[in-house]
Amino acid sequence: MIMKTKYPAIVSVGRTSFGEHYEREPENLVEEAGLGALDSVNIERNDLGACHFSDYFLPITNKIGLEEGFLSELLELNVPMEITRSFSSALSNACNAVQAGKYDLVLVGGFEKMTDRWDKIRDDLMLLEDPWSYYAGCTPEANHELMLRAYIKRHRIEGQSLETLANALAEFSVRNHHNALKNKYAQYHKEITVESVKKARSSARKPLGLFDFAPISDGASALILTNSELAESYTDKPVYIFGYSSATDYITFPSRKDLTGFTATQLTMRDVLKTTDVQLKDISLLELYDQSTVMGIISLEDLGFCAKGKSWMDINASCENVEGYYELGGRQVFVNMNGGLKADGNPLGATGGAEIFEVFKQLRQEAGERQVKADGELRYGCVHELEGFGTKAYVYILGRN
Amino acid sequence: MSSEPIERRVAYVGDRLRGSRCSFCGKEYFKIKDYCGACGRESFGKMESIDFFYDEGTLEVCTLVNEPTNKFKKLGPYVYGIVTFHDGKVRFPGRLTDRIIGDEAIHLEELEGRRIVPRFRRRHASEPSGIVPTISLAFSFSDEYYPYQDYKIVKPSKKYDRPGIVGYGAYLSKFRIKERAIERSVPFFDEDAMTAAVEAGKMALIHSGVDHKIVDKVYVGSESNPYAVKPIASKVAQVLKLGEEEPREGVQFVDAIDTEFACKAATSMFKDAASLVYYPDSPESNTMVIGTDNSQSAPRGEPGGELDFFVGYGACAFIFGMYDVIARFEGWISVTSDTPDFWRRDLQPYPSHGGRFTGLPAYFKHVSKAVKKLMDRLRLEPQDVDYFVTHQPNAVFPTRVAKALGFKEEQFKPGLQVLRFGNTYSGCSPISLASVLDIAKPDERILLASYGSGAGSDAYSFVTTSQILDKRPRQSFTINYQAESKFLDYVDYSTYRRLKRGIQSS
Repeated sequence: MIMKTKYPAIVSVGRTSFGEHYEREPENLVEEAGLGALDSVNIERNDLGACHFSDYFLPITNKIGLEEGFLSELLELNVPMEITRSFSSALSNACNAVQAGKYDLVLVGGFEKMTDRWDKIRDDLMLLEDPWSYYAGCTPEANHELMLRAYIKRHRIEGQSLETLANALAEFSVRNHHNALKNKYAQYHKEITVESVKKARSSARKPLGLFDFAPISDGASALILTNSELAESYTDKPVYIFGYSSATDYITFPSRKDLTGFTATQLTMRDVLKTTDVQLKDISLLELYDQSTVMGIISLEDLGFCAKGKSWMDINASCENVEGYYELGGRQVFVNMNGGLKADGNPLGATGGAEIFEVFKQLRQEAGERQVKADGELRYGCVHELEGFGTKAYVYILGRN
Repeated sequence: MSSEPIERRVAYVGDRLRGSRCSFCGKEYFKIKDYCGACGRESFGKMESIDFFYDEGTLEVCTLVNEPTNKFKKLGPYVYGIVTFHDGKVRFPGRLTDRIIGDEAIHLEELEGRRIVPRFRRRHASEPSGIVPTISLAFSFSDEYYPYQDYKIVKPSKKYDRPGIVGYGAYLSKFRIKERAIERSVPFFDEDAMTAAVEAGKMALIHSGVDHKIVDKVYVGSESNPYAVKPIASKVAQVLKLGEEEPREGVQFVDAIDTEFACKAATSMFKDAASLVYYPDSPESNTMVIGTDNSQSAPRGEPGGELDFFVGYGACAFIFGMYDVIARFEGWISVTSDTPDFWRRDLQPYPSHGGRFTGLPAYFKHVSKAVKKLMDRLRLEPQDVDYFVTHQPNAVFPTRVAKALGFKEEQFKPGLQVLRFGNTYSGCSPISLASVLDIAKPDERILLASYGSGAGSDAYSFVTTSQILDKRPRQSFTINYQAESKFLDYVDYSTYRRLKRGIQSS
């Protein structure tokens, strides 16, 4: 049995809707998410020992360089605050601090305001992802398509199989949109069809089209982290972080050893499973970092849910299923119940928080209309997040006790 | 990118595609690395400098970019992918250039696996007041217009008593506009006078076999330098690694200078370049002269728009030295007068020209005077000359002046290139000289008379040597090939104007 004492525990979560919030300052978004998390467990701001925030590039999009100062002023707090790039990164720092006994109560918050820089956002995204690829003409979409091309070649996918793969990718997007219908925070509440996904591809003359990619979003998310001794004093149903890890990879995608998957994800998952008692087969809930359909299905392989080169077959075989899960490697796994990055939205620094939010709600049976009906007990969920195009990977395994 | 230091570092690596190789395990890297990740500490200081500038690679995977980022928008749709070099030892990102993509279906699988060569190009758009960014992460298929050619350094075998041309190369773009009797070369969106100069210089090195390290001065003549202040020659020197390199500091021990005198900016420097290698203190020295222009003209219907029927794009480079000469100098003369027949004021986008002056008192007077004086001095009669080459603003002027000077069609027709490429301004008479060198036999006399508005003419007499035949097989990118390649891409007038404006304009 897993000992709960050594695990950091999430006692509450909060988030904003994702989409365009043109009337609001970035710090107001994280304020909403953070207050949501604090209020739901009646924690006062003054109880916080520290804050770990994340935004991918507010210094560029909003010319905000000292985010901590804005937040200190807004919260009227003078506690330690740190900024990292992704929610998962902020959370892993918070976990380290809580585990070390440094702080009892930490607010983790992520926020992003991408639509404020609508006209230049793709240049910024690409330059940050990799300057050399940018100089060569890369776009935020192109690397996903190159990975798909490399995947097709590596696994010798041809003829009818190629059609099936294209279909599976489309189905993955359709399912995301379907799931988001029941998520009031999601950026899109609109069903799409396999035909519309394919039509967008053919009109773009590319392997992936508009409906294969996550949108540009504003939004924020937050959670309150504490240690396992204190967790139950705030809530009856804390969600524990049973495993977490991260890994890095080269900034320039073409220079990496493997073009058909994300090495950083593979290494992260290997390390997570090594350091936790939870086994992969116990995980029945998964939130993927699917910036594109291909990133989603390839991540299923990197995380070990599907065999290398085979995830699309599993997706294709279970796309008719109305219960909302995929049969991955012969097992039911509920994937992206919030709609994934595709339909829920992708405000970079806040995205990981929305993934955690979903798993937290599901594990506590509080997901309302979206609540999954697993065969057995719904005990463990997995959250996967990337920074850049797989330059950094994070995995969290969450569970009730 | 408005940071000069970043620009300098990116261009230093990217223009030449510099990399590193571990001398222990042979692992290769794109970009400069101080040690090998596999071999660690012991490889410190043992990394070899390599580059991929003259290499051939493979397009591994690719996709179509329909919606480029802002700075690439002017390119229109393009193919972007991953290229590999040295049998897959190293991979980097790259864009296919020299391709105008319309509505046609794109079959990525047919492009993947094909061989590619790096092309030196503008990287992307920049502010009109900013630095012009360049890079060689642009590629074209080596089985199309621009071939893969190895650059082999050849040990010099024969010293001559007087200087001469030891090699040359011309670069004309793949795109053409054809109107009535004239075809003109047109730059792709990412080309300009600077990129053509580098390409021509590269071709001259390949043809001459001269070690780039012993080219001690480069002169670039142009009237369409994208910069009003900042030489093209410094870019050429760095990209082609002319002169001895001091890699730690990233400097070349070479002199580099831009010259301007309308269309004779390059030919004017031939004698200076030759004199320098003849100077007693520099016995091993070579010099390079490049004429390059993305010839400018106002659009049709606007003042100065008459030129729009004739302007071309291209560059030609010559290497001068004392060893393995293919054509030696026999004599030269220059003539100059202050004749304002064509000019461009500072900050004006297009040149103007005085209709009254361009013919008789300008072109004909200066060319005839220079040629007659040189022939007098060398005691030559028209029949002593095998080829007569002159500046070609159109086809009528050179024909008329050649006939007036007593030359017959078989003497001046081979060098008449304006109907194939248009008037390439500073590159014009040099390209015509190259076209004659492409076909000349040993011991033939070539008379060159350039013309530069403003006005002046440089006349030269060259006599070919037997080595012209030895070197000819080294260069497949000849003038005839560039005029007649089946891969030429013909564009309409509006596309031509867009290409001419290029990636820069906002």
